Amino acid sequence: MGNLLEIELKQETLAAPAQAKEGQTFLSGAQAMMECLLAESVDNIFGYPGGAIMPTYDALYDYIDRIKHTLVRHEQGAGHAAQGYARVSGRTGVCLVTSGPGGTNLITPIADAIIDCTPMVCIVGQVKSNLLGTDAFQETDMIGVTTPVCKWNYQITDPDEVPEIMAKAFFIAKSGKPGPVVIDFARDAQAAKMTKPFVYKKVEKMVSYSPRVVPKQDQIEKAAELINKAKRPYILFGHGVLIADAVQELLDFVEKTDIPCASTLLGLSAMPNNHSNYMGWLGMHGMYAPNVMTDECDVLIAIGMRFDDRVTGDSTKFAKQARIVHIEIDPSEVDKIKKAEAPVIGDAKEALKMLMPLVKKGDFTGWKNEFRKLDVKEYDKVTLRDLGQEGKIKMAEVVALLSDKTNGEACIVVDVGQHQMVTARYYQFKKANSFIASGGLGTMGFAIPASFGAKVGAPDREVVGIIGDGCFQMTIQELGTIAQSGLAVKMIILNNNFLGMVRQWQQLFFDNRYSFVELQNPDFITIARGFGIDGHTCTERENLSNSLDKMLDSKKAYLLEVIVEKEENVFPMVPAGTSVSEIRLE
Amino acid sequence: MTTYTICVFTENSIGLLNKITIIFTRRRINIESLTVSETERKGISRFTIVIKHEKREEVEKLVRQIRKIIEVLAVFGYLNEDIVYNEIALFKISTPLNGKSVDVETINKVYKAWVVYWGLDYVVIEKTGTETEIFEFFKYIKPHGIIEFVRSGRVAVGKTPQGLIEYLPEEITEWEYYL
Ligand SMILES: Cc1ncc(C[n+]2csc(CCOP(=O)(O)OP(=O)(O)O)c2C)c(N)n1
Ligand SMILES: [Mg+2]
Repeated sequence: MGNLLEIELKQETLAAPAQAKEGQTFLSGAQAMMECLLAESVDNIFGYPGGAIMPTYDALYDYIDRIKHTLVRHEQGAGHAAQGYARVSGRTGVCLVTSGPGGTNLITPIADAIIDCTPMVCIVGQVKSNLLGTDAFQETDMIGVTTPVCKWNYQITDPDEVPEIMAKAFFIAKSGKPGPVVIDFARDAQAAKMTKPFVYKKVEKMVSYSPRVVPKQDQIEKAAELINKAKRPYILFGHGVLIADAVQELLDFVEKTDIPCASTLLGLSAMPNNHSNYMGWLGMHGMYAPNVMTDECDVLIAIGMRFDDRVTGDSTKFAKQARIVHIEIDPSEVDKIKKAEAPVIGDAKEALKMLMPLVKKGDFTGWKNEFRKLDVKEYDKVTLRDLGQEGKIKMAEVVALLSDKTNGEACIVVDVGQHQMVTARYYQFKKANSFIASGGLGTMGFAIPASFGAKVGAPDREVVGIIGDGCFQMTIQELGTIAQSGLAVKMIILNNNFLGMVRQWQQLFFDNRYSFVELQNPDFITIARGFGIDGHTCTERENLSNSLDKMLDSKKAYLLEVIVEKEENVFPMVPAGTSVSEIRLE
Repeated sequence: MTTYTICVFTENSIGLLNKITIIFTRRRINIESLTVSETERKGISRFTIVIKHEKREEVEKLVRQIRKIIEVLAVFGYLNEDIVYNEIALFKISTPLNGKSVDVETINKVYKAWVVYWGLDYVVIEKTGTETEIFEFFKYIKPHGIIEFVRSGRVAVGKTPQGLIEYLPEEITEWEYYL
């Protein structure tokens, strides 16, 4: 169906604008913008109107049958929705907002998208070009403000620039290491007519920017040599595998070499969790064996990951003994944190394809068993407790049960905090692109709008947001967006009545001094109902299964609030700045 | 602390200076001097940025971060011995009617500096050279009374036989030469 739609859009693009009839003027900048979106097969945008973007919203009015627009309740919601959309679908998310506060409200999602490599094009209105620099009404220097947090930005002051700049914008956002692009669109350039016919040429390469996709053969050979010599090789894969659509290639590579592998937080779901070579995920709250074994391997094969400090702890002590193969599309990431003996600059998919014929078939049964031995320790000390059927409901039980009921096939969107880490630990992912989280920035308030965006990007999938009681209140207004859309977004609040993750740190590292972490929460269900979304609260363990069924069976958006143990801690934990050898299980 | 000279080749677009300098500020690296001009090829600008740093690795990382800016075409980082470099300084020196007159011969022959403007009771002297040479001259001329002193940023060319532009991405070689 997607394809059909695309063909239609393309025909429209060809037919509509180019041949201006006699006496007819050319497209306005705003109309040209709409044509650019069509040419890039954009089917959904997320936005919020206002003065400086009104000509573009006016143009949009003629395109609503071809470009679906969602009116959010706050521009931050538009940004995170575009991120959720992009992360689940692999396509570029598009936002449309007004100048000044519209633009500044979008800063958090832009900063989130750059650090989590999410392709996004943000079209932001700007005051008329003759008013630039005069502190005009709702004038914010968006180029100045966004430069440190976006991949590229450009101010359009002439309608003739629109097609060329937008073609660049979409190319830059999606290629190489993806990221957010900001287009600062002056109001007069939106309203004025172009002086020539609209012609759109997709950009596939730029003189100053052409990221290497296919790695160099000599780098591949060196990497293969290192991998083949390894006695205790270990693969760490990250978000790059999902971005590069290299899920199958990774699976083939792992199965041929029999090398044990682990994921980063954002790499989750790139490998089915039940695969015998999959050892879990690593990082601050990751699993025991995957963390500890970074100290035991002789060759570490890092694929599409960047040795974030939440992964390495003290990076100077991380995997010190290991020789490192680093497959990475962004040359500035290589050697940034860990020196790589065999760097491979290129796309993960291409790199794995090229490595395949060069790597040996392996059997690492013994080495893999060492991981499994450690798993037992984690199971006894952590998992049993987390899933123990005593006292108040625990977050882990909810997630584990949801995982069973959805057969590990739902698209899970999480917010930031304990519930996020617990979800990463207990959901058994079977399908790619199923874990959507704000990893690098850790933006509370991400999940409601991102769940919505994910549902827009994958309407046929079950999308479940798992959200903390604190986070829920950061973007609660987007319940209105969800209700108006009619989409069946499912949300679970894991309510511990605390900013749980911060409380945990205060308990463990600040001597139990609970400084402003307890919440007086509203009645979430009444609020949801007020927005037109049904829901209920589950307080007792014996109702949990039914509660989840009720939520999953709902044909409409649904909010399930689960009252969970208030002062539960997430383990394992590698305290910030320490080495993985100092990992705590209790 | 080692001095590094970083040459950045870019497309000539608005806002690029900001995009480049924030890479330094974010890492708390102070820019000692900065010079920007168009190169021998039209539409390509050349930034020459001088910094001091203790760790070569960090400078290498910095160079890669600058390269990442979309409009940047190429970045080169150099130690002093890899380049020929100079700065230019202008000295406005007071020459009151009955004061000590400047010794033009010494200025020319010893210091390789030139009087470029004669005012009524001052002269402007231009001195080109390295930072050290300029400051030697500064010491020499100071007793005359320096009314104003200004020193440019560094300009530098590599000691390799090729021009740096030859390292730029291929397509650019087709660009028009700047005359
Ligand atoms: C915008 C923002 N502000 C503050 C933080 C710091 N922070 C991280 S987790 C957290 C607590 C989240 O509380 P809640 O949503 O209830 O989740 P829980 O940890 O209880 O599961 C806070 C305050 C953040 N990550 N983002
Ligand atoms: Mg909470």
